[in-house]
Amino acid sequence: MKSLLRTFLAAALTLSVASGAFAAAASSKLVVAFLPKSKGNAYFISCKAGAEKAAKELGVELLFDGPTDSNAAKQNEIVENWITLGVDVIAVAAENKEGISTALRKAQRAGIKVVTYDADAMPDARSFFVNQATPEGIGHALMDDAARLLNGEGDFAMIVATLTAANQREWQKHIEARLKEKYPKMKLVAVRPCDDLKDKAQSEATAMMSANPNLKLIMAICSPGVPGAAEAVKQAGKTGKVKVIGLGLPNENRRYVHEGVTDTVILWNTGDLGYLTIHAGVALAKGDLKPGAKSFKAGSLGSFAVQGDNILLGKPFAFNKGNIDQFNF
Amino acid sequence: MSRYFRELSVVGALAVALIAMAVFAPAFFQPQPLLSLATREAPTLVVACGMALVIICRQIDISVGSMFSVVSVCTGILAARGWPLLLVLPIAAGLGAALGALNGALVAGLRLPSIVVTLATMVALRQGLNLVRQGEFVNMPDTVQWFGLPQATGQWVLVICALALLAALGLGLRHLAAGRFVYAVGTDAEAARLAGIRPQLVTFGVFVFIGALTGLAAMMNIVQSPQVQPLSGMGLELKVIAAVVVGGVAISGGRGNLWGAFAGLLLLACVAPALTHLRIEAYWEKAIQGAIILLAVVADGLRERRQA
Repeated sequence: MKSLLRTFLAAALTLSVASGAFAAAASSKLVVAFLPKSKGNAYFISCKAGAEKAAKELGVELLFDGPTDSNAAKQNEIVENWITLGVDVIAVAAENKEGISTALRKAQRAGIKVVTYDADAMPDARSFFVNQATPEGIGHALMDDAARLLNGEGDFAMIVATLTAANQREWQKHIEARLKEKYPKMKLVAVRPCDDLKDKAQSEATAMMSANPNLKLIMAICSPGVPGAAEAVKQAGKTGKVKVIGLGLPNENRRYVHEGVTDTVILWNTGDLGYLTIHAGVALAKGDLKPGAKSFKAGSLGSFAVQGDNILLGKPFAFNKGNIDQFNF
Repeated sequence: MSRYFRELSVVGALAVALIAMAVFAPAFFQPQPLLSLATREAPTLVVACGMALVIICRQIDISVGSMFSVVSVCTGILAARGWPLLLVLPIAAGLGAALGALNGALVAGLRLPSIVVTLATMVALRQGLNLVRQGEFVNMPDTVQWFGLPQATGQWVLVICALALLAALGLGLRHLAAGRFVYAVGTDAEAARLAGIRPQLVTFGVFVFIGALTGLAAMMNIVQSPQVQPLSGMGLELKVIAAVVVGGVAISGGRGNLWGAFAGLLLLACVAPALTHLRIEAYWEKAIQGAIILLAVVADGLRERRQA
């Protein structure tokens, strides 16, 4: 059974490599390979939509492949295949920072240009990282939006994934710094963890509202926390009285945004991320983008800042009632 | 009195905690938030009942969290496709029972240690679900939430269902022959066998039972909100094992009852909202819960030494 499976996998792999090779050989176009963390994930599918748009504009061939689940070893395998195939550019969202870097260095030695997006590899394993959001950008966007909704005044509370997770600490730091610097009349009255569980976020938000009758807003900085908090506000009958904002995905929050429970969901524009990544990869291959560049112009999206070897996608994107239906992930 | 000292001490601790809250943070006792919190714990109570049975039978099932997630997602998908909830309900229980039967067959049939078997099914089910869903939520139509009833009615229905199940199982465990068999097997499987009980059948039975209860609990979970997170149920096994142990069910089997497990669950579930009301940092939540569990285990250990 096992050997049968292996044979089947090998055959499938050969087939996919062969068809890729055919595609590569059939045109003299640049071939750009785009690797997501997992290819069935709606988030990456929406990145791919932007990547396809860029590939069409630039007249390059786009290969899209990835593990079916988030599998670091499978990512390496796919990169190895692309090296054999001789693609021109590889764009990777790394599942495992160290794990993928060996394969990417090998690709660079083979003359392939490498960029990363969404999640970076080791700096020496790629030329540029297309950075979708800096912790500072996210922290400021959330805090500014909270202040906008409360007119700069009132109590708010936060739901985090865990109290110790590095990215959460980092975002929280920037949120609190912004609060101190710009909004003296706002007060952070509670920070509670939800262990990345929507149901726990709901219970936490319920308790926070009953413990703080003057609470005006709940900010959730982990994605399951946003719908969890929204459900709690809705069940408490406090829609509009306690506002909900947070960091999350449109599909998980769509109904609450339409119902007016959740005001803003902040993330980045995933389509733009894919678009910018392909533009950067192609510009790198054509020699238009070189290390040390201070800015980079990507087609219809205009100019982006480059900080060191990070190309910054810029300000986070705010999904709200007006635009959320344009996104499906 | 002394016979139920262990359970009564948990009830006493709970009473002290609630009185303290009444004095220091009376806002804790507001009907709507309490009902919402109770509704959130209702599925946990149902699984805790099953876990009490399994532990009294001197087994353990750490796959309940994963089973809960799998059944939640599967039934959520059926509900999202418009299947009537009355049809989805038996499917939920049946799917849970089938998963429990797999555990039971491996433990009772092949006589494998339950901790290893259910560790394997826990990981396999969780990873399988991750593979298929990639963390994506299941969005359901609005009619699923609260069975289409008004919110407060739906919440009461769930809480009363959970309490009714607790009462039925608690009485059954005490007064039905099948209930006594569980104690007999948990106390001494060989003696039970000599008394004419088939220990492997009883063991198989409790695993099927906890599976079915977990399936029901998953159903009680999906009707609480319009969307199912595939991660829901993560850590549920620890929550219910803790509740059961705190409630005086001996991890060595044969002793304890569901009323104690219920009190244990209430005590542990109060910790997080109480801290929020007392404005104590969330860092303390797990520490306090851990201390409660430790205290319970030490109390059990001391009593066993005294009896030995």
